[in-house]
Amino acid sequence: MHVVVATDGSRQSLAAAKKLKEFADPDRITDISVVAVLRPLAAVAFADDLDDKRKAVDEVSFKAAAESAVAAVAATYDGWGPKVHRKIRSGSPAKEIIRLADSVGAGLIVVANGSRGLSDTVLMGSTAQRVQHYAPCPVLVVRPTPRKPRRGGKG
Amino acid sequence: MPDAPEDQLKRSITGRLLFFYVLGDVLGSGIYVLIGAVAGAVGGAFWIAFAVGVSIATITGLAYAELVTKYPRAAGAALYVNKAFRNKALTFLVTISFLSASFAASGSLASGFAKYFAEVWDLPPALLVTILFVLVLSIVNYIGITESVVVNMLMTFVEVAGLVIIMGIGLWYVVEGNAHFGTLTEFTTEGNEIFAVVAGVALAFFAMTGFENAANVAEETIAPKKTFPRALVGGMVAAGVIYVLVAMTAALTVDIPVLADSDAALLEVVREGIIPVPVGVMTILFACIAMIAITNTTLVSVVTQSRILYGMAREDVVPGVFAKIHPERRSPWVGLVFSFVVVAALLVVGDVIVRAGGEDVVSRLATVTVVFLLFIYALVIVSALKLRGQDESEETFRANTGLLLVGLVGNAVLLAYVVIDDPSSLYWVGGLLAIGVGLFVVEYLFGSRDRPAGRERGEPDPTDDLMKGA
Repeated sequence: MHVVVATDGSRQSLAAAKKLKEFADPDRITDISVVAVLRPLAAVAFADDLDDKRKAVDEVSFKAAAESAVAAVAATYDGWGPKVHRKIRSGSPAKEIIRLADSVGAGLIVVANGSRGLSDTVLMGSTAQRVQHYAPCPVLVVRPTPRKPRRGGKG
Repeated sequence: MPDAPEDQLKRSITGRLLFFYVLGDVLGSGIYVLIGAVAGAVGGAFWIAFAVGVSIATITGLAYAELVTKYPRAAGAALYVNKAFRNKALTFLVTISFLSASFAASGSLASGFAKYFAEVWDLPPALLVTILFVLVLSIVNYIGITESVVVNMLMTFVEVAGLVIIMGIGLWYVVEGNAHFGTLTEFTTEGNEIFAVVAGVALAFFAMTGFENAANVAEETIAPKKTFPRALVGGMVAAGVIYVLVAMTAALTVDIPVLADSDAALLEVVREGIIPVPVGVMTILFACIAMIAITNTTLVSVVTQSRILYGMAREDVVPGVFAKIHPERRSPWVGLVFSFVVVAALLVVGDVIVRAGGEDVVSRLATVTVVFLLFIYALVIVSALKLRGQDESEETFRANTGLLLVGLVGNAVLLAYVVIDDPSSLYWVGGLLAIGVGLFVVEYLFGSRDRPAGRERGEPDPTDDLMKGA
């Protein structure tokens, strides 16, 4: 089986990648594709929370941020068994994740869902929701475990 | 299409999309907002001001195209100047100048939006409309609707349609034989005609701004070395031709003093009732088109502001809070809130000044934007020339050196003119720069308190909470 693991650079997406490893049988998984999607017209095309190092102005590159997030997530599966592929795409995240799943004939998609509450239900809907809606295969949505109450701030 | 090799970016911005991105971004600023002011400064010949402004901006666009094909990164001007001069202070100055230009442009555009809005519904006070407008755009940006390339293209089509209506009216007028072409060479000013044109160019220049935001998508452009120069310059030339034709139409169909005094000058062309369509319907339709056009460009400037703040926070030159990304929406929400507050403050200050009898907010903030951008554009051209011979490959686009020198002189002359003609704009320039410097000082003094002793500025915090920023 080919598994597509999506990362948006969030810590939650790393947690999702680890979740797969917790319960899945590496002998049944042949390939894992770790994918990051850049959003060309967004305020921040790709933010990598997994690497907080200071960047010089020459190094500020959304593509580099996506590469580093994919590498960080891919590192989760080092020595686990399945062959790991790294993919970076550009466009609408949900659409590109599904396209990739289609093109590799994925048997499972792993995505994270970072927040609860108003913004992802009332407004446009989250990437995770859209992936669930249109995926060609089962989807594992890894939600954050409840923690201390949300701090103040918008959205 | 076969899959791109592993780890390679599968790009999504085609030349056509980039062309419409540039065209939409350029068209929305300026001509809807400022045409009356330019007409007032020059007279019937004000199309010349647009033609000259467009030419200088397009030459600057060539420098951008050359640099983008060398360094396809989103950082734009700041990156080029850093590569050319390796001077941290200058890079910082360029970055905050760009940020300030973007703030001022948003303020000017929001005020222009309110003027067209008042044509449809004049009950709410203009200040309220401008602030709500900026607020809504910030929220839209936070949600991420701006990311749709389809929406972006649709808005550009609407913008072009609005200007096609104007050109159609002009053509109708000419065909009916009512046009007096002598208007096109008339100057209202008593003094030197060249000065009149320069004054107009300085204002008209605002109409060309926005093209520099094309660097935003440099990284994700398919075959950038071929696509970028074509789409960028093509978009600018297309915008320029439309501008000149629209300016001529306005000059032919409406008396110049009426244009100059109008809050929403392009509406005056529609109001002349030249084509056999009810004026009321056309007025509302056209006001809506103008609002969509202005919205498109303002959206890009709001995106640019939060992007610059995010980049600076990653470099640790402004407080790290600006790099905070909402975990689900992946938007830099702190930057969006901050940008909203700054633009709202500009609008309030502008409103107070207008009430005290000062100059109109639209052209005041447009002038401030132009001051910042002329400075940046001139430096970008110098950087392009200085970086000649470095990082060049066979596919690097190479702009004509002679043209670049002409562009450099053009930018410098305009900058000098604007500053000498209107020294009070420097107060605004200083105020906006102070915001950037203030953020740097806050980061410098307090930034270290975010992290435990002994850790370098910007080093990740291993104890960072998983859901930090939620």
